[in-house]
Amino acid sequence: MKIQEITLYVNGIQYEFSIGNKFGQIPPGETLSQTLRNRLGLTGSKEACGEGACGCCTVIMEGDAITSCMTLTVDCDGKHILTIEGLADPETGELSPLQQAFIDRYAFQCGFCTPGIIMTSKALLDKNPHSTEEEIKEALSGNFCRCISQYHVVQAVSDVAGKAGA
Amino acid sequence: MKSFEYSRAEDFCEASCRAVKGARPIAGGTDLLGELKDDILTDYPGELVDIKRIPGADEIKIENGTLKIGALTKLVKIAENDLIKEKAPILAEAACSVATPLIRNMGTIGGNLCQDVRCWFYRYPHDAGGRLVCSRKGGSTCYAVQGDSRYHSVFGGMKAHTTPCTAKCPAGTDIPAYMEQLRHGNIKGAASIIMQVNPMPMLTSRVCAHFCQEDCNRCANDEGVAIGSVERYVGNYILDNKEFFYQPPVQETGKSTAVVGAGPSGLSAAYFLRKAGNAVTVYDSKKEPGGMLMYAIPNYRLPKDLVRRFTACLEQMGVKFVTETVIGKDVAPEQLEKEFDSVYYATGAWKRPVLGLAGEELTVFGLDFLIEVNEWMQGKVGSEVLVTGGGNVAMDVAITAKRLGAKKVTMACLESENEMPASREEIARAKEEGIVIMPSWGLGKVIEEDGIVKGMELNRRGLIDVAEETQMTSREGVFAGGDATTGPATVIRGIATGHNAARGMNRYLGVTEPGCSGMEHGGERFLTFDPEGILNKKKARQEEIPADERSIEKEDSKSLPEAEALKEAGRCLNCGCYAVNPSDIAPVLVALDAKIVTTNRTIPAEEFCCSHLKVSEMLQPGELVTEIDIAPPEGAVMNYDKFRLRDSVDFAIVSLASVYSTENGKFTGARTVFGGAAPVPYRNQELEGWLIGKPVNEDTAEKAADLAVKNAIPFEKNKYKVIELKTLVKDSVLRMREK
Ligand code: SF4
Ligand code: FES
Ligand code: FES
Repeated sequence: MKIQEITLYVNGIQYEFSIGNKFGQIPPGETLSQTLRNRLGLTGSKEACGEGACGCCTVIMEGDAITSCMTLTVDCDGKHILTIEGLADPETGELSPLQQAFIDRYAFQCGFCTPGIIMTSKALLDKNPHSTEEEIKEALSGNFCRCISQYHVVQAVSDVAGKAGA
Repeated sequence: MKSFEYSRAEDFCEASCRAVKGARPIAGGTDLLGELKDDILTDYPGELVDIKRIPGADEIKIENGTLKIGALTKLVKIAENDLIKEKAPILAEAACSVATPLIRNMGTIGGNLCQDVRCWFYRYPHDAGGRLVCSRKGGSTCYAVQGDSRYHSVFGGMKAHTTPCTAKCPAGTDIPAYMEQLRHGNIKGAASIIMQVNPMPMLTSRVCAHFCQEDCNRCANDEGVAIGSVERYVGNYILDNKEFFYQPPVQETGKSTAVVGAGPSGLSAAYFLRKAGNAVTVYDSKKEPGGMLMYAIPNYRLPKDLVRRFTACLEQMGVKFVTETVIGKDVAPEQLEKEFDSVYYATGAWKRPVLGLAGEELTVFGLDFLIEVNEWMQGKVGSEVLVTGGGNVAMDVAITAKRLGAKKVTMACLESENEMPASREEIARAKEEGIVIMPSWGLGKVIEEDGIVKGMELNRRGLIDVAEETQMTSREGVFAGGDATTGPATVIRGIATGHNAARGMNRYLGVTEPGCSGMEHGGERFLTFDPEGILNKKKARQEEIPADERSIEKEDSKSLPEAEALKEAGRCLNCGCYAVNPSDIAPVLVALDAKIVTTNRTIPAEEFCCSHLKVSEMLQPGELVTEIDIAPPEGAVMNYDKFRLRDSVDFAIVSLASVYSTENGKFTGARTVFGGAAPVPYRNQELEGWLIGKPVNEDTAEKAADLAVKNAIPFEKNKYKVIELKTLVKDSVLRMREK
């Protein structure tokens, strides 16, 4: 079946897109990263390697952290996607506990990798709120930071994991 | 990314239908998207068909003790699944080692199995300076062989397609295969490979233009392999062992065949017809068999004695020669066709083609010239000779004229120098002897002024029409070939048409062609080469008589001595693909003796993963992997050990999937498969057999490690991989101490 239209739910908002090569349509070759950043203006997730190797473009799809640069937008038809922009409270602007922990621990340098790291951490803690340091490190092993923020990242995520449910 | 259409399959049937029409299936997409983005391939699909959402294709279940895993199951699920962890923990371990957690959330087991290689030449992004069309992509060379090979195979390569040398040979001689046999010291094997397509390498090696050499991959970097010189050595060897190589057939078929014309094509047909057990009689109008080989090619290139020795070999096989007999004059063709079950006409193209030039009658046709060379040159010594044409006959004419005393010899040909059909060596030799070559000149009409000439029309005349495949003429059982059908061609092309005609006649006569019994050459699992030999930049050179001592009687060059010929064979790169299979799942499935279920059939994992260079060659059009079946081995200890630089993300530099059983401290079962070490997963059956009964201790571990890499032939830059492989094997054996 040829796909002509798709629906995405991004940060709780429903979007309908037409698939094709005409102006305004999403070409089948468009990646989720491109759609989020260029069409929806959600530039929080970054694109660095474009090869699935760095994790800067990480978003959460149906609960799993994935690299949006290696995902075709057409492939996401009907899926729920959460980006870094969807974490803070839309009304009050209050940051999510993870975001706050990153600020509290100063868990970034240039910040380019940070949205991806936070999204991967979020997916982990959603599934496993009491993750151990080991589990946190393992889950984040696909997110690269060239500024060596990792130590503080692990502290920040551990902070949230430690507080969860407590 | 090139644009494509996108569809979604509801079931495998639909997906297959689309795939047959050229759609590429997309599962997790983590491999495919990289290829699409970087534009590294030469061919792109017009459509992707999504198979991720096929219902039930991502289930893990156990049925009658068999673990069944849907092909679309994500790697994360495999890594975390309790059933897999219990029954086949090695698979969970391997899945967990693939790429990063983010990729494992998308990638599927089926996709992992079917992924493409990571070779950095293969993956070189198009926008970074142009994609590299390596052997795997249909190009001719593997860049790793002479480039940076640190991540490439340590067990040899695999052929991606016909090598350029073989492709250029009109007879299709498997050049790298015979070079390989020579490197192993199996000269008989090498000879038999050549003789499958060419019964007279001792002759062709001396007269052939050797197009193969010009297209040899080495030419891009240093000097092409001196294929002709090596062939000449093998040819001499064949002649020296003629009793072995030209044996009469074991069984007679009772069929009789006649060959008219004892030139290359006729003699080739005679050989293959006789080998198949037919009675063969060869007719020729000249005094001695050999055709052009005997009468046209100058002695300095091909000593006539060799032609005589070769025809004697055919006689030894039982071929009868009737010479000085003209069919159509001494014997009527009808009579011939009545007397014999099948007849092959390979009468050649001796007649001068009419070029349609004004003043043509003043010129001399090269072949006539070569035949009556001595007479013609008499009284012309000191005159100027203009030769038109750029092939080997023209070359022979020019050189012969020069050596017979012409004052100045000029060659004019239509082709540019690079396109001239004569071999490079021949051109160099001519220049050395002072012949002036004027490429890209044609001849309009013959005038004796400065000879500035334009335009030339060549018409082939008086050729026989034949069916291309069988070479049968319009008359039943009557075949034709050689120059008589093609017009003037090369010796090797004549041999090829002779062979083809023999095949057609055998088929017509209901005779099956024999294989090469008694001369088998063991097929290797991977292409091997000589790691030192390939570093040799200079090709072997046949010793040549100095230019001022050359004559038209003595052979210009000497054959290579044996040691040098064998050394030259060591320069052949045995072109193929040396990239390694990057999958972590594949070696594990081979170790587990899993079955790959597809839309069409069930294939053992070893066959699926190891028998072809690319999975796409294993699968039939539209065939898709649907499920992986594993019968978990009882009580075995299984591990996947992966060596890489960054544990969090890298592909395996090398890996080992091992499944061991022990009893009372001794090995009772073993399966060991390397990943990242060869073009396909490398199962080491010799090691497996050896381990049985051995005690689990240091000594066994050491010896097992040595045995495991016994056949390794690393390049300069990847020797370290062999050390890592040994460590993996050793550790895996020693780990059994704790069990
Ligand atoms: S290196 Fe060997 S296999 Fe490769 S093109 Fe040359 S002769 Fe053929
Ligand atoms: S940009 Fe997507 S993984 Fe690096
Ligand atoms: S903070 Fe700069 S890349 Fe991670």
